[in-house]
Amino acid sequence: MSIYKQPNALFPTTLAAVIAIMVIGGLASDLCFAQSVSGASPSPTNSPSAQPNSSDANAVVPGQITGAELYSIHCNRCHPERYPTERTAANWKTINLHMQIRANIPPAQARLILKYLQDNSGR
Amino acid sequence: MNTSIRREKALGMVVACFMASQLVPCAIAQSTEPVPVQQATVSAADFQKLQDAVAKLSDQVQKLQQANSAQQQTHADDLDQIKRLQDQVGQTQQTAQDAEKKSTAVAQSQEQELQAPLDEATVNHNFQMLGDAEFQYIKADNQHGTFYQADFAPIFLYRAGDNILFEAGFDTTLQNNDGGGYSTTFNLSFAQMDYVINDYVTLAAGELLIPLGTYEQRSAGWLNKIPDDPLAVDALIPGSEIGAELQGAIPVGNDGKFFNYAVYGANGPSSTDNTADAGSLDLGGNVGARSDGINANLHPDPSGGGRLGFFVPFAKPHTDLEVGISGQTGEWDNSGNYNWSAGVFDAALHLGPNFELKGEYIKTSYGTDNMGEIRQDGWWVQGSYKLAGLPFDAPIIRNTELVARYDSLNDGMGTTTQRETAGMIYYFTNTFLFEGDYEFLNTNKSNPNQNPTGNLILQLSLGF
Repeated sequence: MSIYKQPNALFPTTLAAVIAIMVIGGLASDLCFAQSVSGASPSPTNSPSAQPNSSDANAVVPGQITGAELYSIHCNRCHPERYPTERTAANWKTINLHMQIRANIPPAQARLILKYLQDNSGR
Repeated sequence: MNTSIRREKALGMVVACFMASQLVPCAIAQSTEPVPVQQATVSAADFQKLQDAVAKLSDQVQKLQQANSAQQQTHADDLDQIKRLQDQVGQTQQTAQDAEKKSTAVAQSQEQELQAPLDEATVNHNFQMLGDAEFQYIKADNQHGTFYQADFAPIFLYRAGDNILFEAGFDTTLQNNDGGGYSTTFNLSFAQMDYVINDYVTLAAGELLIPLGTYEQRSAGWLNKIPDDPLAVDALIPGSEIGAELQGAIPVGNDGKFFNYAVYGANGPSSTDNTADAGSLDLGGNVGARSDGINANLHPDPSGGGRLGFFVPFAKPHTDLEVGISGQTGEWDNSGNYNWSAGVFDAALHLGPNFELKGEYIKTSYGTDNMGEIRQDGWWVQGSYKLAGLPFDAPIIRNTELVARYDSLNDGMGTTTQRETAGMIYYFTNTFLFEGDYEFLNTNKSNPNQNPTGNLILQLSLGF
């Protein structure tokens, strides 16, 4: 038998509904304005992976996902993207291996990500 | 020798030709102009001339013979020298072959001694620290508000070459003591060695973050958008266990899709008091080392588990889905009479760069002496939206994210709890953020003082 505290029952339900409406409304807004804000993240406003990529190895190949795209996809699954310039090439190699194992992503994709990060790293 | 014979023959032919050249014209003259026999006699002058010519030829022959002898001697010396040089070359070649054999043998010996990874001996290794720090303030209903904790959770990474990584995470917090004062807790969250065997298999061993769902591996600490963990995650599954694991991922096509898997063996849960009573289940305490000095598991057999997941990115940027199913089973009580088993379904959806929806359903069961089969379950679902997706440029809006979560827990022993959480995140930078949440807690326990019905949690987080 549930003995819920009735005085609070209405308030959280209402607030949850408000939050749900905000989320759903925000989602709809996002979908509507996707073209104009694609790639934006809360802070900083320009996604790190949207930075110019100097590597020919990450040039777009039709039908094949790039290292920059993979970096953006996989990092954002758990936390905000970091700027490639925040770490050196050697440090990115270690972090990339750590993340490859933690998120259990294919090494082939991790190598593309590492190439992107090292090409744009802080050293 | 053949050369000298040919030279002598050639010399003889030269002399014969010369004499013939002197005598034949005379003979021809005699044959063409018949003269009386008495007129054919050679004059003294001609004879003297002939004698001089023969003497000259004799001198020339002698000189040629002398030159030939000298050349023969030189040739013989040359042959001797060539033979000596050939002998020396042969000896040198043998010496070189012997040296090469020795060098190869030494290299093979050294290679056997060093074994893999050879790049460990190079500069291809790296050490660094990642992690996070949090500072919380909590105001619970019916309780005094408090600056709750200062949490420092470093992760140390040591990469030994291209394929070997050691990673260890710690959690350091402060806690008030019952009798006054405070204590510092320092917990080893995980410590594992990873070896990437090939593109499809990675071996991990040590204190593992167990892949029952994905929350423990990817959402703990500052990574989660709400300061505390879902009820079911904390209550129903172990965060880490000591064991060994094989994991890997298999790409599907070139557009980012892949399957991933993990299979592992671990010590498994245990009993807090050596009994098999329902309240004695200890999900994370069976760490191998025993206080009685015996090196053995607390129960007869270890546990086994695994996870299978699938990730697919869609055509629209930042739009992807991951689903997974995982489970673990094994003995938990010291006698090995009962199993503890868990199954988890997890999913995470991203629709564009600003919207995320993720959740897990967890179900466990275990046998007991006093309550029979205990069946527990719980689930959580969390949605978040970054206001950067709205058409407003004000930083206060663009740097804010709204988040909401619903989670529930049924402990299988008569207590059920539901919790709704609503909150926000403000990003000062991409790694320094402020989180503010309010939780509404509903439980069927009768004592509200033990179970606050609401919590306000404020947290500063820094990931590094």
